[in-house]
Amino acid sequence: MALLEVNDLKTHFRTDDGVVRAVDGVSFTVDKGQTLGIVGESGSGKSVTCLTIMGLNPRRSAMTTGQALWKGEDLLTANPRRLREIRGSEIAMIFQDPMTSLNPVHKIGDQLAEAMRLHEDVSKKRARARALELLKAVGIPRPERRLDDYPHQFSGGMRQRVMIAMALINNPDLLIADEPTTALDVTTQAQILTLIEKLQEEFGSAVIMITHDLGVVAEIADDVVVMYAAEVAEKGGVEQIFKKPHHPYTWGLMGSLPRLDIDVERLVQIQGQPPSLLRPPSGCRFHPRCPYVMPVCKEIDPPLTAVSGDLGHLQACHLDEETKNREAAKLLAGMMAEAS
Amino acid sequence: MAFKQDTANQQPMQQTALDLTGDELLVVQDLKKHFPVTRGIVFQKEVASVKAVDGVSFALNEGETLGVVGESGCGKSTMARCIMKLLEPTSGTIRFRGHDLSRLSRAEMRPFRREMMMIFQDPYASLNPRKRVGFIVAEALEVHKLGTDAEIKRRVQELLEVVGLNPEHYNRFPHEFSGGQRQRIGVARALAVNPKLIVCDEPVSALDVSVQAQILNLLKDLQRDFNLTYVFIAHDLNVVRHISDRVMVMYLGQVAETATRQDLYAHPMHPYTGALLSAVPVPDPTVGRHRKRIVLEGDVPSPINPPSACRFHPRCPRFVEGHCDVEEPALIPRGTSTSHVTKCHYPLERWPMSEEEMRVAGSATHAAAAASAPAETGS
Repeated sequence: MALLEVNDLKTHFRTDDGVVRAVDGVSFTVDKGQTLGIVGESGSGKSVTCLTIMGLNPRRSAMTTGQALWKGEDLLTANPRRLREIRGSEIAMIFQDPMTSLNPVHKIGDQLAEAMRLHEDVSKKRARARALELLKAVGIPRPERRLDDYPHQFSGGMRQRVMIAMALINNPDLLIADEPTTALDVTTQAQILTLIEKLQEEFGSAVIMITHDLGVVAEIADDVVVMYAAEVAEKGGVEQIFKKPHHPYTWGLMGSLPRLDIDVERLVQIQGQPPSLLRPPSGCRFHPRCPYVMPVCKEIDPPLTAVSGDLGHLQACHLDEETKNREAAKLLAGMMAEAS
Repeated sequence: MAFKQDTANQQPMQQTALDLTGDELLVVQDLKKHFPVTRGIVFQKEVASVKAVDGVSFALNEGETLGVVGESGCGKSTMARCIMKLLEPTSGTIRFRGHDLSRLSRAEMRPFRREMMMIFQDPYASLNPRKRVGFIVAEALEVHKLGTDAEIKRRVQELLEVVGLNPEHYNRFPHEFSGGQRQRIGVARALAVNPKLIVCDEPVSALDVSVQAQILNLLKDLQRDFNLTYVFIAHDLNVVRHISDRVMVMYLGQVAETATRQDLYAHPMHPYTGALLSAVPVPDPTVGRHRKRIVLEGDVPSPINPPSACRFHPRCPRFVEGHCDVEEPALIPRGTSTSHVTKCHYPLERWPMSEEEMRVAGSATHAAAAASAPAETGS
């Protein structure tokens, strides 16, 4: 059994302007010790997917359907008490902005200890010792002195490490990291990614990494879900997505990325803007921006289908396989030619 | 002049000998910007200074793009604001078409403002939400009295078209546009007065990748069409590589390395540049996974009390005790190309290099350098 199995998850928000379909039929699974990367632009629904799984959406305006099976137990129908038990102990989350996700008026050590004492009946002393241990593990220098510091005394990268320490304090089985390195410099990003990999090896946790950076995904993910306008455009193993991409949106994402290893005169650009989720385009949601658009794309929303019969690699596009193989090969060959 | 003392004994006047031909558009020499740190309310006493920019020199030709990279807090943005004279530099010269801007008053500066414009990072914060797009783009034209109302309107619509917006959206407000479109408005505003130099301060950092590509392509097209010169500041090394002709790496208010784009990315010489390059994720699973990141220890030190001598020495894998923390390296050519300058005693001999190789090579060169050291320090 998969650790987490998400089936046809839909999250719609009621707003004054109408219903926003922030997540519209997303499915994926995460196995033990595995890393899943969710890529997409802002507003594609990657964060809402994870907030829904964690039960962190505003109860009043959010409507959720589908399933999120955590070790067989549906999180979407679990009662709030059970959810609180799971959150922070079995599933932990790291948020994007380390500046705003720590409480500024409490000491770091107390905040870390609280995360542990909420879930386990341990003494203050024991919790503090564990907090110290984790600060050490995430590479904070002189941790015994930093325990009694306040968040403002830490730099951005160090705060993010404190967040990771807090997420890991109860040895979670699944760590959801929502753009954990976006607000950080490259050198700090390298520190954080190395740390997540190391901790994953040590504790065997599964990781869901939400990011818009294809580079980060290529480096640490085993499986990749590419999201566009609240839907899954393509998903598969990391090798399949990068070596045999099968959706025009994935091609666009790859082509629009300036890279260190490849010289291009002009970047591929995806025309236009991501659509509004209040009134998503008919048929395939990518069709207004797709250079390969056909009449059928405007009518029928393509279902996720297997690529050459491989159920591990799914894509939602009407283009025939032959064209896609050719175009993907062209894109990659272009990159190869430039690289050499 | 509290800082005068320490600059006097820390800076052995090892300025870059800039190879000047005389027809550069912009020449910045030994630019410094120190912000005072004061204590006391009524009688403010200057207790220290934040050395945000501490001796930056470079030259820029017309039609060229200089990319500036570095971590947050390294002084890139402060430098940009000094060049634009939005901040008064503490010392140093900024020569634009031969005129020294650093000594000009506000009134004397005004005619030059037409020739240098700026594009800002956050398209949500840099456009006045209460003004219509037409007004925002036209403002500089009106300030400089460049034409009648009708001419200005025509020019604005033309500009909107140039940057890929609908000219009929002249009367809309910024909130009616998406992030990428707003950044286009920012570009149109910068172009309005036909400037020669555009300083772009992280123009694509706040944008999604697909939109980022649109803006980068637009900036490249405009440069070709209008012979623009860019100072392009970014923290994303991929983006800088794509757009720049030359790249300058900054660390803690100083230049660590400057080189042509090809040289810098193929043969970085400063260990900091090496660490930065190795930290950039490669969007290719076969390459990316087997690559070793050089992980720098700790954080960027405070610019109030920067480390002695080489500012990178507390984090440097090639740190040699007794040399790097005693003698400040000069920013000079260390390799074959004279345009490739680096501020390091032990520049990297080759690239790529792993962290261990860097360390070993560092101490090996140290032994060699120690033998010849007396001659060097004797002068």
